[in-house]
Amino acid sequence: MAIDIEQIKDKLGFGEDKIYAVMGEFSDPHDLVHAGRRIREMGYTKIDAMSPFPVHGIDAAIGVPYSKLGWIVICIALCGSATALLLQWWCGTYNYPLVIGGKPLFDFSFSIPITFELTVLFSAFASVIGMFAMNGLPRLYHPSANYRLAHRATDDRFILLVEADDPKFDPQITAEHLKSVGAGTVEVVIG
Amino acid sequence: MSMNQTDNYQLDATRWAKGRNTLMLTVLISVIACVAGYLNDPVQFHRSYIIAFSYVAATGLGAFFFVMVQYLTGSAWSVTMRRIMENIMITLPACAILFLPIAFGLKDIYPWTNRAANPLLGTKGAYLTENFFVLRTYIYFALWSIWIFAIYYQSTKQDKERSARQMNVIARWSAPGLFLAIVVGTLASYDWLMSLEPRWYSTIFGLYILSGGALTFMSIVTLICLGFRRAGILKNSITPEHYHDLGKWMFALTAFYTYMAFSQYLLIWYANLPEETIWYRHRSVGGWLGISLAMPFIRFLIPFFITLSRPAKRSLKMIAALAIWSIIVEYVDLYWVVMPTYFKTGPQISWMDFATLAATLSVCALVFWSRFRKNKLAPVGDLRFEQSLHFENA
Repeated sequence: MAIDIEQIKDKLGFGEDKIYAVMGEFSDPHDLVHAGRRIREMGYTKIDAMSPFPVHGIDAAIGVPYSKLGWIVICIALCGSATALLLQWWCGTYNYPLVIGGKPLFDFSFSIPITFELTVLFSAFASVIGMFAMNGLPRLYHPSANYRLAHRATDDRFILLVEADDPKFDPQITAEHLKSVGAGTVEVVIG
Repeated sequence: MSMNQTDNYQLDATRWAKGRNTLMLTVLISVIACVAGYLNDPVQFHRSYIIAFSYVAATGLGAFFFVMVQYLTGSAWSVTMRRIMENIMITLPACAILFLPIAFGLKDIYPWTNRAANPLLGTKGAYLTENFFVLRTYIYFALWSIWIFAIYYQSTKQDKERSARQMNVIARWSAPGLFLAIVVGTLASYDWLMSLEPRWYSTIFGLYILSGGALTFMSIVTLICLGFRRAGILKNSITPEHYHDLGKWMFALTAFYTYMAFSQYLLIWYANLPEETIWYRHRSVGGWLGISLAMPFIRFLIPFFITLSRPAKRSLKMIAALAIWSIIVEYVDLYWVVMPTYFKTGPQISWMDFATLAATLSVCALVFWSRFRKNKLAPVGDLRFEQSLHFENA
């Protein structure tokens, strides 16, 4: 059975003819924040930024809402507490009741350390797995890698981009806008 | 925006005098009330006073610890409010004077002063003698005071000199100073509070009291900053970003306190040795049981879950509520530590509990305020001051 490359490309959501975004780069994090704010003031909503390290104020500048990950973590953490308490109560009281050192079969005193541990364990898993899931990771391909200077975002460049599904997006006009706020090497990225 | 506005870092003289007069009046009224209480019922006065004294001393120790931590970690976030912290720290030497009523009332406070009633003290009897007890306390205060005055002197000197020298000198003092705050602070808490039940012992007790004191300190800093903000003092220097960090600290110390308090309880519960469990036994009878059962809720669950979310820690109203809540429950906690020694059946609240607390707090507040007459409201000479003004949480 012959593999239809075009079909797979289409299925995975990338193809030569699809515009992903207009991307530009800055060599200074302050310029990135400043330009991001100005691009947002022009009415764009699907803006993203890439930087080698966390840049203060970029979330507010390009309008990234505060992460909802915390709510996922608290729910899973409370599940962890409940799991630990139920486990200790069920094992100690029903499954294998055993009196040790004259202590009760179940008590909130001795069950707290295990409850604490399982709460922390569940929150850690929820944080890491939740972060990966909400970022759509892991993935083998991302169109932003087609940008000529994409690899510099892990080194010494700060990249600003406007995605093609932005309602105000127009390849030429948006590219002009990005240049007007000081971005260098502006490219229309396809993929 | 506040970024472009600057604050006046010197307190206005008339404003300072007004504050001093109010505090003087409070000191006067509360001290008169304490004297009246002493003449009326010296035993009750001394018992109320040991709580009031421990409350301000633990807060002062918390301040001592935190100021040194700020220097050792080189933190920038806290610089704009560090003078407030340092002025609270300098109330600790004043506690040496506040200790005098205890030094003269040992017989009313400590059961170990009555040898006939405590024949089983054993070798502890050599340690818990009245003269040695007072001597030890003043050695603790002498050590702390040397460090505190040295740090405070360098910090105010930096306001004028604006050099990195003072910063480095204080950091050098701070490393051994942490030892003084924690280890000597632990010894002090053993003397002042643990020896109330002379045969009982718990090695974590010092950290239990100190973590409570650290939380009170952070809460008081928050309330002072918010009060200053309302009065328009340091309004542009202590921003919501700084309050967010104070909120984080109160949250963290709430958890840390709980860790200490629960560790102490769990180990004693598990080992189940009569000489250790007696302390909790005294706190699980009569009216004390209710407070003991409420402790996990008022000291942990309620403040923890209320301030768990980021928006809560960024709300000035919420952190003000958390700070007020924390300083109230800390007093309840110390009351619960001290009073079961005397009242076996349950709490017996006296008006002197409030009068003595008002006296120690207002004396410390006066010491705190008096430092602002000449000194700046913030360490403007600190090299990280600019950085702190523009501090933002990630």
